Amino acid sequence: MVMTKAAPTLNADFLEAAGSNLPSPLQTLLAQRGKALVDMPLPTRRTENWKYSSRYLQLSDAMASALPSGRKAGPALAFDGYHVVIHNGVVVPEASDFPDIDGIEILSFADLDDIAAQQLAERLDNTLDSNAVQMSRLNTARFEDGLFIRLKPNAVMEKPLFVICETDAHATGSVYPRIYVEAGTNSQMTLVEEYMSTGTEPALVNTVSEFSLADGANITSVRLSLEGTNTQHIGATGARLLANARFDSHCVGFGGPLRRHDLQVRLEAAGAECRLNGVAVTQGKQHYDNHTTIEHVAPHCNSEETYRNIAADESHAIFNGRIHIHKDAQKSNANMSNKNLLLSTGAEIDTKPELEIYADDVKCAHGATIGRLDESALFYLVSRGIDRREANTLLSMAFINELIAQIPVEAVRETVQARLNQFIEQTFKGA
Amino acid sequence: MLSIRNLHASVEGKEILKGINLDIKPGEVHAIMGPNGSGKSTLSAILAGNEAYEVTDGEVLLDGNNLLELATEERAREGIFLAFQYPVEIPGVSNMQFLRTAVNAMRTHRGKEELSAVEFMKLAKETSKQVDLDPEFLKRGVNEGFSGGEKKRNEIMQALMLEPRIAILDETDSGLDIDALKVVSDGVNALRSPERAVLMVTHYQRLLNHIVPDYVHVLAGGKIVKSGGRELALELEERGYGWLGIKDEVEAS
Ligand SMILES: Nc1ncnc2c1ncn2[C@@H]1O[C@H](COP(=O)(O)OP(=O)(O)OP(=O)(O)O)[C@@H](O)[C@H]1O
Ligand SMILES: [Mg+2]
Repeated sequence: MVMTKAAPTLNADFLEAAGSNLPSPLQTLLAQRGKALVDMPLPTRRTENWKYSSRYLQLSDAMASALPSGRKAGPALAFDGYHVVIHNGVVVPEASDFPDIDGIEILSFADLDDIAAQQLAERLDNTLDSNAVQMSRLNTARFEDGLFIRLKPNAVMEKPLFVICETDAHATGSVYPRIYVEAGTNSQMTLVEEYMSTGTEPALVNTVSEFSLADGANITSVRLSLEGTNTQHIGATGARLLANARFDSHCVGFGGPLRRHDLQVRLEAAGAECRLNGVAVTQGKQHYDNHTTIEHVAPHCNSEETYRNIAADESHAIFNGRIHIHKDAQKSNANMSNKNLLLSTGAEIDTKPELEIYADDVKCAHGATIGRLDESALFYLVSRGIDRREANTLLSMAFINELIAQIPVEAVRETVQARLNQFIEQTFKGA
Repeated sequence: MLSIRNLHASVEGKEILKGINLDIKPGEVHAIMGPNGSGKSTLSAILAGNEAYEVTDGEVLLDGNNLLELATEERAREGIFLAFQYPVEIPGVSNMQFLRTAVNAMRTHRGKEELSAVEFMKLAKETSKQVDLDPEFLKRGVNEGFSGGEKKRNEIMQALMLEPRIAILDETDSGLDIDALKVVSDGVNALRSPERAVLMVTHYQRLLNHIVPDYVHVLAGGKIVKSGGRELALELEERGYGWLGIKDEVEAS
């Protein structure tokens, strides 16, 4: 006999009033969205876009409470650029630079005036399909603060902006960092989002970052997911691009108890293009799930997507890449590649390219592979006296080096490379 | 220095080496010739520690110690170097990173300090000139997109940098044009020293004009069927293998 059990729903506590320090238009939005979410079913194994990941989702009532923002200074980063610290979802002005650059506004949501807050409230979520990215709706009901960046036409931020989102998990709870970037015509910037956590209590980090790119805008987005062992991370990034805009995304993620990132890019006018690079590494019993969607809405747009996973031990990595070419999107160019490296027989990788093509004159290529380290390459390296563990690490890094090399900020590239190297070397402990 | 005694080996249940005996002393150069499929690469691979081959009988001693119980990387550090007949391409690992890691692994094993990036670059550039490779190749992936001749020169370059005690060259002369053959043979001659031995597998007498061997052996059907001085190579060139009672194909056993 099969017992049918009602799908678990979002605990009402998760929807408690948030954002009491925010301007009233945002408070109104939060309250409305919260109401709409009462009884929202949580993803289960029967939820198509969560079928491999729902079992890693471990929400408890205790996690419903927002972690208090201590207004602490995050760890100072020596990277050259501007810094904003978001601590437990709240911007910490004391720890942040708000550079005074012509044509660029960088503000916390709390500091927006009512008119700007009203405009923002109307825009939030407009880059994301919240039916496909269910958990982003929780963020829109619960954020306590956020970072708003507006680039006026032709504004150029010369140095990268680092947004350090730190979760202080010394108590159980959840945090909802939020970023909205509005990039005017021909403006340019590089934004590096860095998610980290301290403390070992179970915590949920539920993020949403959105990028709205006007004609010719050029955004480079780097996203690093580096949280600790008890932090569950469900993040979403949305981008919509108008004519000739360019969005370059580099996501690097280290596995955890639950790691989920949804990336949605809409190419809405001719000449828009995106490049999406992603690397995820997992070990032990860790999990990482990348879901991406590229909407080719308009003709003459290009997308180039390359994701690589390395799964060791008994870990589980998932890639789901959807490309949707709408019927008017003639002359679309779309390339998607997902390669996976399995470092042990106990590890699991699920990869699924999903192509929906409704235009007839398009170039669309995709490929997904799952492989192991090449024995003959390993033999070659050790036959030169190289330690087996180091040889394994070199070969694993070789699998992702090409993507890491494309991260345009040198200091980030080097840090990420060193951390990946260390992470991978750990997986060959016994070798 | 290296002593191979009654070595039998098989792969996937098929016996390939059927009792090899060979003694190599420091300073000597040995050439191994023989028809295709006779087991020359198998012998080389077994010496280097390739686990695809199963040693079923016999032993290999390096300075009196059992070589076969060492892992590949340990053999390399003890001085075994194999220049592969078909070097693999390893995209994503740069030649520079690869060579530096290998050189430093050897140095550490020999109780020497690791080379700094600058010292390493100097050595790598000098050595690449010695084998006529553009130092730019150091930035490329290991053997990635190298021509056949470049791969062979890269093997010799590695031998020069790693300073093995015994260099096993598996058809390092194959596929080389006349100039490259000269470069490679000069490299091998530079390797020669009273403490170091060279074991070269070749099909061609022409290499032996550049690198004069002390001994020539004919390997056929998994056994050394004839050994002699360098004049044996000339004789083989003239008469083929037929007079030794060997068909040019591997005999069915
Ligand atoms: N991994 C393997 N699996 C199956 N058979 C193998 C394997 N490696 C070698 N052999 C077989 O062993 C025999 C000896 O091969 P080997 O490569 O040692 O010959 P060789 O003397 O080097 O020939 P060549 O002159 O063509 O290089 C051949 O019949 C070959 O097909
Ligand atoms: Mg051979």
